[in-house]
Order: sequence, then structure tokens, then C-alpha cells
Amino acid sequence: MVENKELIKVVEETVSRDDVKYVIGYKRGTYGFQIKPAFAYSAEDAKEFFYSPLCSKNLATYPLLEEKLPLRRGEEAEHKKIGIVVKGCDSRAIIQIIQEKGLEKEDVVLIGIPCKGVIDPKKIAKRFPKQSKFVDVEENNNDEYILEIGGTSHKIPKDELLSDVCKSCEYPNPPLYDILIGEAEEEFQPEHFNRVDELEEKTIEKRWEYWEKHFQNCIRCYACREACPLCYCKTCMADLLEPQWIRRSVNLSENTAWNVMRAFHLAGRCISCGECERSCPVNIPLMELNKFVEKEVKEMFDYTAGLDTEEKPFLGSFRPDDPEDFIS
Amino acid sequence: MSTKKNTELEEFEPNIIGFLCSWCSYAGADLAGTSRIQYPPNVKIIKVMCSGRVNPMYIINAFQQGADGVLVSGCHPGDCHYTHGNYLARRRVATMKKLLEFLGIEPERVRMTWVSAAEGRKYADVVREVTEDIKKLGPMTKIRREKEW
Repeated sequence: MVENKELIKVVEETVSRDDVKYVIGYKRGTYGFQIKPAFAYSAEDAKEFFYSPLCSKNLATYPLLEEKLPLRRGEEAEHKKIGIVVKGCDSRAIIQIIQEKGLEKEDVVLIGIPCKGVIDPKKIAKRFPKQSKFVDVEENNNDEYILEIGGTSHKIPKDELLSDVCKSCEYPNPPLYDILIGEAEEEFQPEHFNRVDELEEKTIEKRWEYWEKHFQNCIRCYACREACPLCYCKTCMADLLEPQWIRRSVNLSENTAWNVMRAFHLAGRCISCGECERSCPVNIPLMELNKFVEKEVKEMFDYTAGLDTEEKPFLGSFRPDDPEDFIS
Repeated sequence: MSTKKNTELEEFEPNIIGFLCSWCSYAGADLAGTSRIQYPPNVKIIKVMCSGRVNPMYIINAFQQGADGVLVSGCHPGDCHYTHGNYLARRRVATMKKLLEFLGIEPERVRMTWVSAAEGRKYADVVREVTEDIKKLGPMTKIRREKEW
């Protein structure tokens, strides 16, 4: 369990360092179970930081949004670090970004949080709809979430609210961190992500029916792209006009092209934080695509993303003995 | 690209897009032509500098624009003009085929082969095989674009 006092103390210390520009973390939202990203520029700002199982957002997206203004002649760029509060998956996202040279290790200070899994905001909002005030959720040692609404206290089994990907999380502790808050979680046996298996057992026509149904709903808001810590290209292929890879019209053909493209660009990069699926307004099961590709990449090429900053990117490297049974 | 309308009486003639690498497979196709080997005319060739140039989005875009199958062909491993372009292509196509299969699009519609500049005969055989395979699968309409005008 992460103590908020300890978190605030660490953030205060970090932000007071001379080489740190600001620290990104979580703060309480205004209503319901919403949490907001918080930016601490001074020790004063750190007081509103908190951590609870509601903090599902992946903050690794933010350092890449940092605006780099053009410099005047003779001026030098400011080399200051950004502090980020990271869970296990966020830390892997940072590792993956460093591996792709999107960031330097020296650019960031990672405040690691051992994570016990986060609550799916869709599930909890469905269970307790229309909350006009912020409700915090705590976790006890018996795998239950405790929350208080209007004076009555609720106890809910963890399984009912836990995000699906968190059940099969293999790295609850951040593999890369500078400061770790609290004690590392014990190793626990991750469940198998069985939604992929269920789909794989279906026939090819049934599978297409399933995806056709979902892709038809896609409104191409690109929320999956914006929430993803690894979709950080300055110009996305989906936005290009010349050549135009994907037309602007929202129909099955273009939606499928977009979703295939998104899944393929995350091949060997996705660290399964589940942000795409949680942010999707029409509930497309995007993690099924990501988890499937992750599994195939692991099986065929023995490659796991986001563990080693020195490893070569999956699609930018090869081994001469890669499988080629499909080639004649 | 225009999609040919097939009446039910006519036999289905597949539209296949072939991405051939400039150094081996395209020369192989050239050799098949100059050697006057007979092979089906269904493969429409697009010359690329290397099979590693084939972005998997090319494959999806081909399907969107009316292709029934896609053939990616490059130099044999180790023979690539750019030393390792075909190795990169191999990873990409392998992953893409798996992904398409998971989505419910027949992975047999994407075919990858190694054809060297001396293998005109092999190229003709490959084209014959691909055309037959895709004839069996029938037209690919799952993600085809609707008529735009």
C-alpha cells in the first residue's frame, strides 16, 4: 500500500532538486471516480498529490508532449529533468521510449510505485453512477476495495472492479525507477489473458463477424492513440494527407485499416497498460488485438517489449533464423 | 484501380498485387517474360526498391482498393542488395499475417516468396500457385472501399 504522506514527501524532495523542472503525478478529480494529472512546479504544489487504485492513467504520455521552442542564436536548451510517478506498466513504457530514443534516461526522474492493479473507470462508473463528488477508493489486505458514498461504506471484491489487463500483469513492480515508494509487491501468479484464447478458438468467419461488429462502431476519435504512451509520432500516418493512408470517412473499411495500423505499430512495443481500451468511448476490445500480437511476437521471435533500454526495437531488428515457414 | 465486375457465369479472375523487389524478384519476373514462360496474368506488379520497403499498410491499402490477394517477393535471405532488407520484411509480413488471421481475414491472401533474378521458372510457378489459391478463396470484399464517386 502506498502512503500518500510518503508520496508527497518524495515529490517535495524531487521537485526541490535544482535539476528537476516539474513532477507529474495524480490528484483528485472534481466528481465521480475521476482522477486528474497533477503538475508540481514547487514543493507547495506537491501537497495535492495522491495515489489510490483509481489512478489508472498512464503518465508516460506527458514527457513527450513537452513543447520544445525554437532557440535564439547563442541560446542553449534547458536541460532539466521531468519527474514522473510511475506504476509497473508506466515504467515499462518509459523503458520502451528510451529504447526507441524518444527520451534519454537523463531526461526523467522516475518515482516508482509498486502497483496492485488499478480500477477500470468504466466498471466502477457503471456500478456507482452519477456521483457528483469525488469518491476515493482504498484497498484492504483481503482483496477488497472500500469506498464511502453518502455516509455508507461499501466493500467490493477486487475482481469485480479490477481492470482486465491488470489481472494478467506480469510486472507489478516498476523495472526501472530512481526512487521506490513503499515496498515492492510480492511476486504473484498472473492470470492468463483468456479473452484472446476464446477468440482464437472461433472460426475465421466468426472472428471477422466479431471484429466487424466492433469496428463498425468505431468513431475514429483516436482516443486510443492519444492515451497510448507509445503512440508519440509527431505526425501520425493517420493524419497524413499526402500520401493519404486512411481516408477521413468513417466506415468499416477505413476503421479496419486504422485499427490494423494501430495494432501493427504497437507490435513488439505495447506494454499492455490497457489505456487504449479504457479510453475507448465505444468499448472496442483493443487489448485483445494488442495482447494477441504480444503473444505472437513472444512465441515467434522471443521478444518482450519494455524490459531493457539497450535492446533493439522489434521491427527494426532481425535474426537470420527467424521463422519463415510461411515463405515458399 | 478499377475492380472488374464478374457476372456469375464468368469465372472469378482474382486481382493480385505483387510487390516485387527491384533487384531480384522483378528481374526474375522479367526473365520469366523473356523466356516466354506461360503464367496467369492476374498479378499486377508494383516494383519496389527492396522488399523491406513494403509497409504492411501497403497490404491493407491494396485490399481496400480492390485487391483479392497480395504477393510480396524479395531476394533470398543473405542476397539482399541492401544486406538485410528482406529479413526486416520477413518479420513484418509474419506479424501481419498473424494479425490478419486473428481479425478474420484469410492469411493465405498475403503471400511471401523469395525469387532470385535467375528464377524465372520459379516466379511463373509462384504466380500460378497464388492465382489458384486466391481463386479458391473467392473475392475479398471484407474491407473493400465503397465506391467513392
